[in-house]
Amino acid sequence: MTKRTYEPKPLFIERMKKLLGKDFDSYMEILKKEPVRSFRCNTLKISSEVLKKRLEEKGWKIKIPFEKFPEIMIVESDLQPGELGRAIEHLLGYYYIQEIASMLPVLVLNPKPNERVLDLCASPGSKTTQIAARMENTGLLIANEVKFGRVKILAANTERCGVMNMIMTRKDGIALCKRFKDENILFDKILLDAPCSGEGTIRSTPKTLEMWNINTIKLLSNLQKSLIASAIEILKPNGEIVYSTCTHAPEEDEEIVDYALKNFNVQVEKIELPLKTVQGITKWEDKEYLEDVKYSCRVYPQNADTEGFFLVKLRKKK
Amino acid sequence: MGGNEEIVQIKMIPLKFLNKSEKEKLVRQLNEQFGIKEIPWEIARLGKERIILFSGKVSEKEIQILDRFARIEGVGVYFAKIDEKTNDLRLSIEGTQLLKNQITKNIFELDEKQAEEWMMGQDLNIATGKKGFYIIKFKDDFLGTGKISENKISNFIPKSRRLKYKEVKL
Repeated sequence: MTKRTYEPKPLFIERMKKLLGKDFDSYMEILKKEPVRSFRCNTLKISSEVLKKRLEEKGWKIKIPFEKFPEIMIVESDLQPGELGRAIEHLLGYYYIQEIASMLPVLVLNPKPNERVLDLCASPGSKTTQIAARMENTGLLIANEVKFGRVKILAANTERCGVMNMIMTRKDGIALCKRFKDENILFDKILLDAPCSGEGTIRSTPKTLEMWNINTIKLLSNLQKSLIASAIEILKPNGEIVYSTCTHAPEEDEEIVDYALKNFNVQVEKIELPLKTVQGITKWEDKEYLEDVKYSCRVYPQNADTEGFFLVKLRKKK
Repeated sequence: MGGNEEIVQIKMIPLKFLNKSEKEKLVRQLNEQFGIKEIPWEIARLGKERIILFSGKVSEKEIQILDRFARIEGVGVYFAKIDEKTNDLRLSIEGTQLLKNQITKNIFELDEKQAEEWMMGQDLNIATGKKGFYIIKFKDDFLGTGKISENKISNFIPKSRRLKYKEVKL
């Protein structure tokens, strides 16, 4: 089945040209290419080594792109449409189909056993299940989602992956953080994978281009600022928050980091990622951001053959 | 959870953590049915029939606070269901996987063709000479629980976990 294509809006093109400069053409080119078929071994149920061997015995050609993260795998052989999701190993929860760029926030958050972690905007659960695996089902993971329909998807995915250390809540993220603050319930680590305009997902969801709208970006930017402000309040001293989006819009990315740095007692942590990234911008249109915003990471599809992403790690000062 | 003596009831979902004696009773039943000797996590009942396991570290007070201000939609993982007629326990796929190292009895091993049919959600029309709930297994995979009667094994694989096409190789 061929994917329907959508024409990018002139303002979107103008903005991406401004962001990418000479890389714009290669960016537009890679959008036409099918995304790689990546997935993550669910180490709560099976080891990466055993899963890889098992899938290779089925005749799948499996690549482990990053030696340091053997749970991240790519299928290089041709599969039938939907075969990755229909395979018995998927149904039994041995792996989670997840785009590589979407795995990065949890690699950066680096949750550890026995920590207390909040996944504020959790559905569909790709990062929630990744967090639980890193925590080895210990500590406490609170996975929150505001929308009822999306809670069901979250529940199905966490169950399939055998996530046992989680309490799942349904509440507006800002209100939830406020109540946590009132009760002095604080977290070692928080993932804020914020609702966003999704510019980075065009390869897999071309319809994003049709829905793209500058006004939505501005509305989302306000929501994201409120979310990060609320989340920082419930971090323990020295606690860490990873803020991520799957969009390239600076209003939803660097502007949020700049807002957090200017208004709260947090600092940017330099991060290392296993693939090529571009540092955050410090100037966009008429706005100038703090110098440290450059330690944010932009993930562009043309650089690492992934979807597009943005992420930054902030630490609450003691 | 802190102590096992307290009963923590969550208002948003009908979930109740088992106290020490309730937990011991359940483990005794798991031992009788499947040889399981120990559950190292908290156990809770969800409604009348469902049992969940929770490995998170949280105090009873915190869970009550959370319950007051956030809608708790789920805790831990669905582990087993209590059969309404026999009161026997039927372990979910995750239940069998989580405790696979402890399951020593009432295991029924399938061949490849049967495993494929099982994962497609089909009852298996085979006379086994056995009766009751059996853990279903194929090679190293634990595939939930089946109810064996005279000439068939009844299937409980939920729709969302079923194989869609026969040609998919196990």
